[in-house]
Amino acid sequence: MEKKSFNLFQLNADKIPGLDAMTADDFSAASNEEKAAMVETRQSVSYWKDAARRFRANKVSMAALFLFLLIFLFSYLGPLFIPYNYADQYRNSSKLGPGEFSAKEQLVQKTEGLSDRFFATALMPGSLTSLSRNTTYYFTYKGVTYSFYVEKAVGDAVLLFNADAQEKLVRVSEKDLESGALDNAVPVEYSTGPVDTKAENVLELKMLRRVCKHFFGTDSAGRDLMARTMYGGRVSIAIGIIAALIVLVIGSVYGSVSGLVGGKVDFVMMRIVDIIYSVPDVLIVLLLQVVLKNPLQAWLDASSSDFARLMSNLGVGIISIFITFACLYWVGMSRIVRGQVLQLKQQEFVTAANALGVPNGRIVKRHLLPNCVGQLVIATCLQIPSAIFLESFLSFLGLGVSIPMTSLGSLCSDALDTITLYPYRLLCPGLILTLLVLSLNLVGDGIRDALDPRLKK
Amino acid sequence: MAGYILKRVAVAFLTLLLIMAITFLLMNAVPGSPFLTEKSTPEMIARANAKYGLDKPLYVQLFNYIKNYLRGDMGTSLKMQEGTAVTKIIFQEGKFTLSFKLGICAVIFAVLVGIPLGCLAAYNRGKWLDSFLRVFTTLGVAVPSFVLCAVLLIFLGVRLQWIPVISGSLDSGKAYIAPVISLAFYPLCYIAKLTRTSMLDAINQDYIRTARAKGLKTRFIIFKHALRNSMIPVITYLGPMTAGIVTGGFVVEQTFQIPGLGKYFISSILNRDYPIIMGTTVVLAALVIFMNLVVDIAYKLVDPRISLTKGEG
Repeated sequence: MEKKSFNLFQLNADKIPGLDAMTADDFSAASNEEKAAMVETRQSVSYWKDAARRFRANKVSMAALFLFLLIFLFSYLGPLFIPYNYADQYRNSSKLGPGEFSAKEQLVQKTEGLSDRFFATALMPGSLTSLSRNTTYYFTYKGVTYSFYVEKAVGDAVLLFNADAQEKLVRVSEKDLESGALDNAVPVEYSTGPVDTKAENVLELKMLRRVCKHFFGTDSAGRDLMARTMYGGRVSIAIGIIAALIVLVIGSVYGSVSGLVGGKVDFVMMRIVDIIYSVPDVLIVLLLQVVLKNPLQAWLDASSSDFARLMSNLGVGIISIFITFACLYWVGMSRIVRGQVLQLKQQEFVTAANALGVPNGRIVKRHLLPNCVGQLVIATCLQIPSAIFLESFLSFLGLGVSIPMTSLGSLCSDALDTITLYPYRLLCPGLILTLLVLSLNLVGDGIRDALDPRLKK
Repeated sequence: MAGYILKRVAVAFLTLLLIMAITFLLMNAVPGSPFLTEKSTPEMIARANAKYGLDKPLYVQLFNYIKNYLRGDMGTSLKMQEGTAVTKIIFQEGKFTLSFKLGICAVIFAVLVGIPLGCLAAYNRGKWLDSFLRVFTTLGVAVPSFVLCAVLLIFLGVRLQWIPVISGSLDSGKAYIAPVISLAFYPLCYIAKLTRTSMLDAINQDYIRTARAKGLKTRFIIFKHALRNSMIPVITYLGPMTAGIVTGGFVVEQTFQIPGLGKYFISSILNRDYPIIMGTTVVLAALVIFMNLVVDIAYKLVDPRISLTKGEG
């Protein structure tokens, strides 16, 4: 090295701009306050905070997350806002188009429109005392206790109880009363508390079913398709998440054991994974669906444990989907985890921990798992849409969830027979399914880019 | 190289045997017996079991079953076409050929359209065409095939009446359009994505810089030098793609009413015709495994850097 290079760093006082304007004070030692101002007080950014910041900066992922939340809310909170149920068949309202009412529902709507002027005030004809709002009233007739609920302010009208008719509580206007058509009606006395009957014996009377547009139309059996789509969305999302968790647990346990133990055990375990990996999964899934249905049903019918009851609520189809995921789909995850564990095992901090005498379990908990979490989250997030995809595929072929339970795939399958006449029956759930998978894919990609920027394309 | 091929063939054969064993054991686990009707007495059932070898221990049955399969005997149908040999149903009644033709068309379409789309996207990187293609392909891998089928059916079939609503036995060329597009759409988009990514990787390599330094045209560089080297991920995808097209065929044949093997397979599942289910599963699995094997070997031929011992395919 030449000695000359030292000169390069020597200041040339003539060339410093503004040096002439400076006084001796400018070169005095800094006070404590001045020093404190110079210390950077920036909060430390953790791994997750950093990832969250990167995720938020990604516009596409944020939009996709928003879309997913919309579909999630539509599926889980939507049913609270519409008066229809996924399983109920509404008479006279089958085969309606999107946004239509049946003739009967139009009638109901008309009377509801009048209800500002004419509404229930009393059960006894003639006694026009006002009923207060948001109160449940009870009355007993022939040993049966009925209840009804008043939710709107009431004006001049009369409630009649007709024990013979299907809609037992009838709302009557004053005009009807004057015409004398209702002279034979039975007067009933009501109270605000249950009349010496146990609460479970109380029959709830609905004044009139609230009506709402069938936004997605109804199917041939008169079921509201929007309610069914909402419940189908619930089922699809739940299946996706649960299946991904099953895969996560099995895959990470298998993969970490294989990676940690190593040697012959690792070799054998990975050959098993290789073989399962090369098995055409969907064919085996179809077989499992066929085989599992009957024994599962028999088991559910025979067993009376809480677990079995919970499972029977889900239905045989969904359980066998979970079982197939538990059997076949963990292999990808186990490969990822094994790779991570093998890589991390070589790292210096693991060697250091080993040298310090940290027990193996502690090393796994403190060092290996926290370093794998990013990869696990990424793989799990990307597993969810593929699980939803598979479930909809199976349901479409008639092998997934069974009626009256529904999923987005089985809705599309039901709509297939009448596709030329009622295309919207397939397009509505199909569109929601597509958006759901799309948003989850994009969110998964965003999480991958946020947690592991090296992978970014 | 020979060792590698031998190893792969052995693994493929083992997988096929495993699948045969799985199908046999699964079907065996279904409760009930084929001879369980109202009229049969216990003696009759015992005699029938003895005749068909069902009284022997399970492993003997499994061995006999695999032996029969290897000789090309897959039993006879129980319900769908009672008494007809399963091999005849699968291979001689045109079902396999129909599905096969459809699948091949879809593969060709996906490859011939997907790769150029990927190249175009990489060539126009960052421009509007790239963004458009990215949206298109991202959407493409999120659309379930039955939704796409329905959309094509409604718009091309019902509204515009360009294509027949029921494709039937694919007699006319028009009948192919919608099924092939719906079958090929997912692989097409996936291939386009793969090609774009690997193309962009390849463009950053040294030999591309050399080619540029020589003064070659960008177009020439992309399609001659970069494309060849970015084909490797696409080749590895051909295996899973076959599996995807086989299973996608179930949905497409169902939707367009094509009397192929996929549609037949699904109805045999719904009808619980076990010999047909087993036979078709094994045939389709063999097809997929064979394609995976071909891909593994082709992969090795194309890129000799892949080591023998790793064997990750």
